Amino acid sequence: MNSITLKERLRDKDRRRFFFAFLGGKAIGLLVAGLAIVGFGPWLIGSAAHAVAPNADVPIGDVVNATNTAWVMVATFLVFFMQAGFMMLEAGFARTREVVNVLQECIVDTCLCALLFWAFGFAFMFGVGNSFIGHEFFFLNGAPSTYGSTGIGFMAFFLFQFAFADTCSTITSGAMVGRTGFKGDLLYSIGVSGFIYPIFGHWIWGPGGFLQTAHGGVWMRDFAGSTVVHTIGGIVALAGSMALGPRLGRKFKRDGGGLPPGHDLTIAAIGGVILWFGWYGFNPGSTLSALDFEGIGRVATNTTLAAAAGGLVAMAWVYPRFKKWDMGITINGFLGGLVAITCPCYWVNPFGSVVIGAVAGIVVVLGIDFIEHMRIDDPIGAVAVHGFAGIWGTWSLGLFATGQWNDVKGLFWGGGFKQLWAQVWGNTLVVIVTFVVSYALFKAVALTKTLRVSEEGELEGLDIHEHGSPAYHPESAFMGKGY
Amino acid sequence: MLEMITAIIKPHKLDDVKEALLANGVEGMTVTEVRGFGRQRGKTENFRGSEYNIDFIPKMKIEIVVPAESVDRLIAIIGEAAQTGKIGDGKVWSTGVGKLLRVRTGEMGSEAI
Repeated sequence: MNSITLKERLRDKDRRRFFFAFLGGKAIGLLVAGLAIVGFGPWLIGSAAHAVAPNADVPIGDVVNATNTAWVMVATFLVFFMQAGFMMLEAGFARTREVVNVLQECIVDTCLCALLFWAFGFAFMFGVGNSFIGHEFFFLNGAPSTYGSTGIGFMAFFLFQFAFADTCSTITSGAMVGRTGFKGDLLYSIGVSGFIYPIFGHWIWGPGGFLQTAHGGVWMRDFAGSTVVHTIGGIVALAGSMALGPRLGRKFKRDGGGLPPGHDLTIAAIGGVILWFGWYGFNPGSTLSALDFEGIGRVATNTTLAAAAGGLVAMAWVYPRFKKWDMGITINGFLGGLVAITCPCYWVNPFGSVVIGAVAGIVVVLGIDFIEHMRIDDPIGAVAVHGFAGIWGTWSLGLFATGQWNDVKGLFWGGGFKQLWAQVWGNTLVVIVTFVVSYALFKAVALTKTLRVSEEGELEGLDIHEHGSPAYHPESAFMGKGY
Repeated sequence: MLEMITAIIKPHKLDDVKEALLANGVEGMTVTEVRGFGRQRGKTENFRGSEYNIDFIPKMKIEIVVPAESVDRLIAIIGEAAQTGKIGDGKVWSTGVGKLLRVRTGEMGSEAI
């Protein structure tokens, strides 16, 4: 037994010294706290009293607006955190030599998108204008206290929409990993975040957008952005990877090769789950109302079910090929489920969500096969996950909407083809226009010779060539003297 | 008579060299990630606005044991496959091999290649 008695402890000089030092520290802390309470006491107690007895004269609208705004801000922060998910997923699926480039692109996209959305992106998308483009609130000038009839603080709504725009612009970089020059990346990002996303988004979400025009009482619906964010992002990614061409030395499946493996699957997996987590802001936040408690719960549950079904189905679909439980495809599968449920999440029931997610899992796997077959190099799977699953999700509303909410009724619930037709035609138009415009944008950037890095730079790796530093172990023993 | 060929090449040329050797009758090889420098010396990289030197640059080292009569031919093949014409392409050399044993079968000498 080697327990020390209290007497022995007190006899130990070091322990005694520690004890008194500790006691002294506590005393100083208590003194500071005491002074603070005396100094700020009236203020503290005053504000506490306010909290206990709210002013009965506050109109109910002010309480509602505050509650809704708080909810939207929480959702905004969740959606913003998806950037971390994207960065990790893309970095993990990339090769070691291009990790810094992937991360830097996501960071700079975010910075760029914030300023562009403030300057004119938001004005194009959410300002009142005509049915093609908005022109109000440039540089957030002339902003009222709340946005439209939403009852949400105007700037809170702006920030929420910025987080969405940022998501869209980040999606595009995923398919262009490993060969895009950084100058070219800056140029096309201005086009995507400043013009393509806001203008096409205006058609569906902006005030008076022409895709909201009712045909026989039915118009295209996109609750949280299967089309606006994901289809647009995925199709721009497709145009980008086609305009760029594959990475040097990339051999496709039909030529006896395959996708080079990601360099860090831990990072990729956690990034995928962070995206899932962020989606709880993306979809439930799009109710724009905390008072719609039933809607928030339904949307969150539907989102979860679709993701779960998508992940399992994608995994099972790929299993027979190699008799292996492929993690990369499982991640892509649940992301596909999330992308697909983004549009219909408010208007379908849980069973519909499971089916939508399950089909999305298959769409993602077949989409990745198709992209590979077409000899298009998409290292992250952005085109299949965001583009193809986004298209499926938008269409699925026309099939699975139950008609219980906002009278949105799909084919399987006796609503006929009306809603389906509105979804298909609106989505198809967006796909075609986005592809044509963004392909032209990439070709225009290519004319400046900044879109693709030199052969030498690509082989050396973008991290060293474009950013001057590798992602891992730059501090290694191989550096010169003095470090 | 056996010789060992050692080649130091650029990492991204490994695949080309491997294919070229396989197409010319070489059946196995050992590859190591190595670092070093030649006349080019090191290079500079950057971190948060400042520069630092890398004296030892990443390369690949390939080692193969071959019959002495094919050494000249294989060195030429490696040289051709690994060449980019830019600085830092690497070096190829051969050395004599005393004994060679295939562990699984116990074969010795040229039978063990």
